[in-house]
Amino acid sequence: MKKSRRLRKVRRFAGHTILNIFFIAVCFVTMIPILYAFSVSLNAQNSILGSNFSFIPKEFTGDNYRAVFTEQPVLLWFKNTIILAAASVGISLLVAVPGAYALSRFRFKGRIAIFNGLVMLHSFPAILSMFAIYKLLSPVGLINTKPGLILVYIGTMSIFGLLNLKGFFDSIPVEIEEAAAIDGADGLQVVTRILLPLARPAVIVTAVMVLIFVWNEYIYAVTFMTGASNYTLAAGLYSLQATEMSGKWPVFAAASIVVSLPILLIFFLVQRHMTSGLTAGGVKG
Amino acid sequence: MKSSKKRKGTLWSWLCLMPSLLLIGAIVLFPILYTGYISFTNMNVYHWFDYTFIGLQNYIRALFVFDAGFLKALLLTILWTVLNMAFQLIIAFVLASLLNNPRLKLRKLYKTILMFPWAMPGYVSILLWKNGMFNSQFGLFNQWMERLGLDPARWLANDVVAFISCMAVNLWLALPFMIMIMDGALQSVDKSYYESSLLDGAGWFTRSFKLTIPAIKPIIAPAVIITVFTTFKQFDVIYLLTQQEGSKTGANIHTVITYAYENAFVTSNYGYSSAISIIIFLFLIAFTVLGNIRKKEERQ
Repeated sequence: MKKSRRLRKVRRFAGHTILNIFFIAVCFVTMIPILYAFSVSLNAQNSILGSNFSFIPKEFTGDNYRAVFTEQPVLLWFKNTIILAAASVGISLLVAVPGAYALSRFRFKGRIAIFNGLVMLHSFPAILSMFAIYKLLSPVGLINTKPGLILVYIGTMSIFGLLNLKGFFDSIPVEIEEAAAIDGADGLQVVTRILLPLARPAVIVTAVMVLIFVWNEYIYAVTFMTGASNYTLAAGLYSLQATEMSGKWPVFAAASIVVSLPILLIFFLVQRHMTSGLTAGGVKG
Repeated sequence: MKSSKKRKGTLWSWLCLMPSLLLIGAIVLFPILYTGYISFTNMNVYHWFDYTFIGLQNYIRALFVFDAGFLKALLLTILWTVLNMAFQLIIAFVLASLLNNPRLKLRKLYKTILMFPWAMPGYVSILLWKNGMFNSQFGLFNQWMERLGLDPARWLANDVVAFISCMAVNLWLALPFMIMIMDGALQSVDKSYYESSLLDGAGWFTRSFKLTIPAIKPIIAPAVIITVFTTFKQFDVIYLLTQQEGSKTGANIHTVITYAYENAFVTSNYGYSSAISIIIFLFLIAFTVLGNIRKKEERQ
């Protein structure tokens, strides 16, 4: 009896060890591309053609990071990206919140038709719109300008914002707002003081999704913007690797890490909201 | 009284929606309508302004001329979607089940690390894979091959190898989301529900197929459907790995989206590319409608 219990204990312990080893291996394999880039970016002896690579460099250097900031206009790209991202997030929310509120709360003619139309339009891949959008923006002089690119970004993310926020507003009981209205709050106060604080997770997810979209979007940025001084980080990084690569790989690796860090930080800060917000709206950005 | 209030409500609704609708009209709806219009013309690099209407010719070429390449791209896209979804669902289910072992103390740490590919900017990851892992001169895979005494391979040059490489990258990118969804679903399944069958001595497989999978199916369904769409529409992985302008790797794998893109921006066949875009759009709408009908039926 006693023996069999000990045997079970040993077996359970062995099972755990195997499970832990398994997950450590899975995590390592998952991280290989990122670790490799990180290691190359810090490695002082980049004999890139040599085969004696190890994940921990024998000699460290900050040269590649210095090169990122001195040889490339990264700070300028960073500034461009921040401007585009801030404007896109701000305008997206300003536009989407009232729209989603109307779709969720008002019962007007055409509501269902609009909703169904949005779901259908949302399935059109944004990349296939590029040529037509170029044709639209070119005569009004919005090509190669920040407002033009902001317009593209907020337009592309507008349906996502509407559907995502509407889905969340739907889950908030109307009674809360009615109670506030009885207490004398007017329409605007109900939205800003009651609804928006309650809908914070959805507002955060919408904002972060727009931010990530702008941060990661490269194809519109390189097609619509000419000249390296107008590039975003994504466009800059893309052009950096599109030109002659072999000599620059360590610098590119360093740039990749620099560009990714802010997004990694934001992602892990809001991670607990991500899945709920994304599936509630029924759309993934 | 009541009707005036209602009318006021309607006016307010439209006012609130107006900015969104204007934006969507310009950036989403207009491009679709314009694409539809161009799809009936012969607009291309030779007929940039003096294009003429050619009826359904672009559609006929896309749908009935196999050599044109669209049907091949469509078949490949379906294969791509099916394989990616199958691998994603199986791997994510196994990993999430193992992660849900309550005695696994470090599971929070493992989960966080496994989320990294999702958290990284997608295009950065893909470029790191291209230049760091697959590069034929200094890529990590070929360094390993060399160490094993094997000839270096060209991971993105041959169609089949490139397809598998692209799929590996796509799985790497997409698995975290699916693991997260499965993990959430597994945690929401009532534990007591299991214990009875545990006592009956059911094995992991029996338990999974008889209990777990039916229980989590309705919870993960919306996320799975969304992922089917994003996989079908995936552009970045295949484009950035194999078809970047000026640095094509030699592989000729096209999904419908990269095929439409190439016809518009590389070979400048705007009319033909537009027809393909509209066909893809109709496909996606059909999926959406079918999905909604099924959802309604299940609810009843």
